[in-house]
Amino acid sequence: MAHFVELKQVKKLYQMGEVTISAVDGIDFQINQGEFVVIVGPSGAGKTTVLNILGGMDTCTSGEVWVDGRDIGKFRPRQLTAYRRDDIGFVFQFYNLIQNLTALENVELALQICKNPLNAEEVLEEVGLGERKSNFPAQLSGGEQQRVAIARALAKNPKLLLCDEPTGALDYLTGKAILKLLQDTCRERNMTVIVITHNSAIAPMADRVIRIKNGKVSQETVNEHPVSVETIEW
Amino acid sequence: MKKRALRKDFYMEIRRTLNRFLSIFLITALGVAFFSGVRAAKPDMQLSADAFYDESNLMDLRVMGTLGMTREDLEAIRVVEGVKEVMPFYSVDVFCDLPEERLNVQVMSLPDKMNRIRVIQGRLPEADHECLVDQKLLDSGKCRVGDTLTLKSGTEDPLSDFLGEETFTVVGSGTTSYYMSLDRGTTSIGSGTLDGFLVVPASVFAMDYYTQICVTAEGAFELTCYTEEYDTLVDTLVERLEGIEEERCGIRYAEIQEEGQEKIAEAEAEVADGEQKLLDAGEELEDARNQLEDARSKLIDGRRELAEGEEELAKSEQELADARQKTADGWKELNHGMNKLDLEAIKVQNGRTEYEQKKAELDAGYAQLAQSDEKKAELEENLAQVETGIGQAEAAIQALPEGTPEAERQKLEAYLAALQENRKQIQAGLAQISQAKAELDAGAKALAQAKAQLDTGSDQIAEGYRKLEDAKGELTDAEAEIAEGEIELAKGRAKLADARLELLDAEAEFAEAEEKLLSGEREYEEARLESQETIADAKIKIADAKEELKDLAFPEWYVLDRQYIQTYVEYGNDADRIGAIGEVFPAIFFLVAALVSLTTMTRMVEEQRTQIGTLKALGYGKGAIASKYIFYALFSSLLGSLFGLAAGQKILPEVIISAYQILYNNLPVTLTPLNLWYSVTASGAAVACTTLAAWAACYKELNAVPAQLMRPAVPKAGKRVFLEVLPFLWRRLNFSMKATVRNLVRYKKRFFMTVFGIGGCMALLLVGFGLKDSILYIGSGQFGNVFVYDGSIGLDKDADEEEREDFWKTVQEDERISVCMEARENAVDVEAGGSPRSAYLVVPKDPEGLAEFIRLKDRESREAYTLDGEGVIITEKLAKLLGVSEGDTIVLKEDDTKQVEARVSYITENYFMHYVYMSGELYEKLYGKTPEWNQVFLKNIQNDEEFEEQMQTDYMALPAVSDVTFVSGTAQRVADMLKSMDLIIYVLVVAAGLLAFVVLYNLNNININERKRELATLKVLGFFDGEVSSYVNRENVLLTLIGTGAGVFLGIGLHRFIIVTAEIDMLMFGRMIAGKSYLYSVLLTFAFSAVVNGVMFFKLRGIDMIESLKSVE
Repeated sequence: MAHFVELKQVKKLYQMGEVTISAVDGIDFQINQGEFVVIVGPSGAGKTTVLNILGGMDTCTSGEVWVDGRDIGKFRPRQLTAYRRDDIGFVFQFYNLIQNLTALENVELALQICKNPLNAEEVLEEVGLGERKSNFPAQLSGGEQQRVAIARALAKNPKLLLCDEPTGALDYLTGKAILKLLQDTCRERNMTVIVITHNSAIAPMADRVIRIKNGKVSQETVNEHPVSVETIEW
Repeated sequence: MKKRALRKDFYMEIRRTLNRFLSIFLITALGVAFFSGVRAAKPDMQLSADAFYDESNLMDLRVMGTLGMTREDLEAIRVVEGVKEVMPFYSVDVFCDLPEERLNVQVMSLPDKMNRIRVIQGRLPEADHECLVDQKLLDSGKCRVGDTLTLKSGTEDPLSDFLGEETFTVVGSGTTSYYMSLDRGTTSIGSGTLDGFLVVPASVFAMDYYTQICVTAEGAFELTCYTEEYDTLVDTLVERLEGIEEERCGIRYAEIQEEGQEKIAEAEAEVADGEQKLLDAGEELEDARNQLEDARSKLIDGRRELAEGEEELAKSEQELADARQKTADGWKELNHGMNKLDLEAIKVQNGRTEYEQKKAELDAGYAQLAQSDEKKAELEENLAQVETGIGQAEAAIQALPEGTPEAERQKLEAYLAALQENRKQIQAGLAQISQAKAELDAGAKALAQAKAQLDTGSDQIAEGYRKLEDAKGELTDAEAEIAEGEIELAKGRAKLADARLELLDAEAEFAEAEEKLLSGEREYEEARLESQETIADAKIKIADAKEELKDLAFPEWYVLDRQYIQTYVEYGNDADRIGAIGEVFPAIFFLVAALVSLTTMTRMVEEQRTQIGTLKALGYGKGAIASKYIFYALFSSLLGSLFGLAAGQKILPEVIISAYQILYNNLPVTLTPLNLWYSVTASGAAVACTTLAAWAACYKELNAVPAQLMRPAVPKAGKRVFLEVLPFLWRRLNFSMKATVRNLVRYKKRFFMTVFGIGGCMALLLVGFGLKDSILYIGSGQFGNVFVYDGSIGLDKDADEEEREDFWKTVQEDERISVCMEARENAVDVEAGGSPRSAYLVVPKDPEGLAEFIRLKDRESREAYTLDGEGVIITEKLAKLLGVSEGDTIVLKEDDTKQVEARVSYITENYFMHYVYMSGELYEKLYGKTPEWNQVFLKNIQNDEEFEEQMQTDYMALPAVSDVTFVSGTAQRVADMLKSMDLIIYVLVVAAGLLAFVVLYNLNNININERKRELATLKVLGFFDGEVSSYVNRENVLLTLIGTGAGVFLGIGLHRFIIVTAEIDMLMFGRMIAGKSYLYSVLLTFAFSAVVNGVMFFKLRGIDMIESLKSVE
């Protein structure tokens, strides 16, 4: 299996009484190890659902989800949890930090359960929060909080870093900085990073861009020469 | 139709959040149920009792007089305003001897109008010899229907003074509302405890006065007893009755005085009689003595007479013998005389024959003479012839001697003479013829003479014969006389024999009489002494009676209302106690319930922040928006309240009353009506609390602008906790613990509520178990820790020296008794300014050795005390009730006259009843006499029931023993008495469990909802379900630990409060909670908490990551 990640005809259906709504309607795509992938699409296109399925937070109704040679689509809940625990790093739009833990502790929280975590403080240094590590989330700005969230995800040393609108709640510059951080992480650590966004402007920075519309992949492009995020304006 | 959308939203909200709705419903239901239920228990208990009392028409009050009550009193009371009915009543406490034991029973007259007997078996007594027994005696198997009971007087007065019958046949059994529990109160006889009652027809009573007069008050029936209205009504009547007391007592006093005087006069007469009798008896005895004396002299006379008689008899025998001899001699003489006479007669005969011959000869001679006459004439011629010749010869013839033919001699002296001779011859012839004639004449004369002589002889013989004949007659007579004499002698002899027998008899009789006299004298002496004593006694008694009569206190009435009925008061106290518990427990529940619903509502409003903002933005008014939450709260809490108050007021009082029915086994009904006041207050408070909470929560939100509302609420900022200031400690905590600690501190409301909830649960459990400990400690503490002796034997004060010696011998020889000590124990009233308390004064013979039987020590410091000659040691509760401490002075009263003051030197641990311990030395000092030992404390070698029963039987058989008690028995009784608490404890445990569950569940629920996002994040991070729940549970465990810790303190405080509130005066509950109870409480709390956490696990697992992490609503 050449591809690090491969989705085959993944469908997600919701039974709402009589009506069946398909959030994801047969998606196929492949991603290689170490790629920076951007999934773009309008609201409700199903990109988050795809990400959730990929991250083991949700299950697909049908289809195959291959990650690093395993079909997680067939995982039982406990296996999924283990999968999330060991292989996946998540970054959310609203950071989802534990308010009661300091930045460092939030990172450490993730490390508690990890097989081969990175050093929390180092990771925080890397994301540029060496000075603020003992601050509580409430004492940090949005960007800083998102950095903590990224640090938390990274520190787990995951195979796959999944980011759901990581800049959605951030101002332009901060957003850019976060994207830069993600891109750098991808490059430096050779980590597979998947970013969901409705902002197609950032597509050029990705190795691969997957466009989703109405639960289907509408277009899949591979950038031979992705640009640095700094050069992108939107 | 306005705001239909809102209304729909409201219904939808309820449906959607049925969980929350139900949780408010349940918690309010629980709170209200407990609040109203436990509080209603008190009035329900009172109502149930009232129904019971009304059913039997229990008297509202009774009037007793120190001198009894009379028919006139009855009539006087009947007409007092406010009196509904009156009923005379007799009762007397007597012994009832059963084969195995002696019971103290109260015999009472069959009540008719009031205090009606509830017949359980058989029927009421109808005839005089029938009785109905206490159901208690039947239940305990002491007697059966159909048995015959024999009663014995309990006092010195004979039973007949009180009752006309002695034996009664049991015809039925029953209960009376006068006794609601198994306790029958005290009595002045025997062991002092009544075992039961007997109901007999009033006609059996022989008393001339009523024991008491029972009274019901007008209008009291309709009121509920124990209430203020009832008390006021009865108090008023009591006052009115006390109003006529003076007058009635005056009359009674005069009556008694009169009666007394009469009786004294009678007694005096009797004494006089007695004295007279004694005198009479003395006189009689004197008479008897005199008689005996007489008898003795008579006897002596008789003896002498007998001797005389015997002598005489001997003499007469002699005489008779003499006489017989004489007669025999007489006969001999007579025979002799006869023979002689016969010889004489023969001689006379011979003489007569001779005489005849002679006469014939003479006649022949005469005839010859006649011839000779011729011859004579011849001779005469011859003579004249011869005469001349003879004249010479005549001289010769003259010489012829008469009779002698000596004429021949000188035949012829000479015929000389021949002529002479012839003259002579003629002369002789003439002489011869003359001589022949003379001779013939002489012969004739001699013959005549001989004849005369013969005749005389004949006569003499005849005379002799006659004389002999006479003598013969005489002899015969004498012989007859002798025979007669002999007969007489025999008679005399027989008489004498008789006399002798008689004398013997008389002697025996005399001896007997003497004996009799002696015994009579002895008897008399005894009787005299006795009667003198009796008389002296009687005199003393009369003097006493006179004195008494003089001193006779003016009678007093006791107008006793139901407050003087033991079980009425105890039951009332128990109801009050439940009331006291009801003040505390439900409040905790209620508080928790209110807090929980408040939190729940606040949370709900917070959750719906966005919706509120939206509605506000749409232009809905504050009221319209708030009404949803307010109505939500109102509906749920109102429904909960209604359910709660119905369930609570039906179930809880029922359970509590049934628990008390174990103790008050006579109580037949349990009434549990809904109590309006508690219903309204409880549900009102619950509804108000919840609704206000909803309103307050809305109010805060509603004041914010819509825009602000529609943004997600700023999450509560994390904070450093105080622990972090202590890095050495903080660093030691592992990561999850840090998070846990932070979280705990972060959600302060939750923290406190959970701690409060769990603490409350723990406290309730602790109180429940602790109550049991404390109550059981009365038994185990008192009889295992304070009274360490095994039993005590009461000595009969009337026993004599010999009986006591016998007893001591038995004790000393008894191997079952390991050690024993004498002591004195008697009831005293102890006073220290306030009202007196009843206690027992215990004086051990050996104060040093007391510790082996009773341990005097401080409850807390365990310092042991020893009695000295300075002060007394009193028990803790007594000290508390009297308000005295060490060094204070108390007054000990035995009755109104005897009272001493003593200083309290120590206060000792004690749980059951009150005791005052005093050394013999101090007793002597205070009372001026050596204590009279009336009690023996024992320690046995064995303690099982059978063993002790055997000992009891053995010792009760001794006359010196009045009672035998074993501590184990008493301990058992106490334990049984307090068993009813068990059920209440179970109620508490269940309640605590419910509380813990509801509170924890609710709070956890809120907690999880509130932190859904956080938990979802954890899940996303790859925390397994177990790890997620442990993340939450760690907090819960910590909260449970803290709550339990807090609960321990709360529980101890509450326990102490309840113990002190619920304690009755006679008892002191243990102040300790056993380690076991702590353990149980903690384990149960943990278990409840674990159950809730277990439930929460599923809830946590159900958290949907995607839903939770979606952008904030």
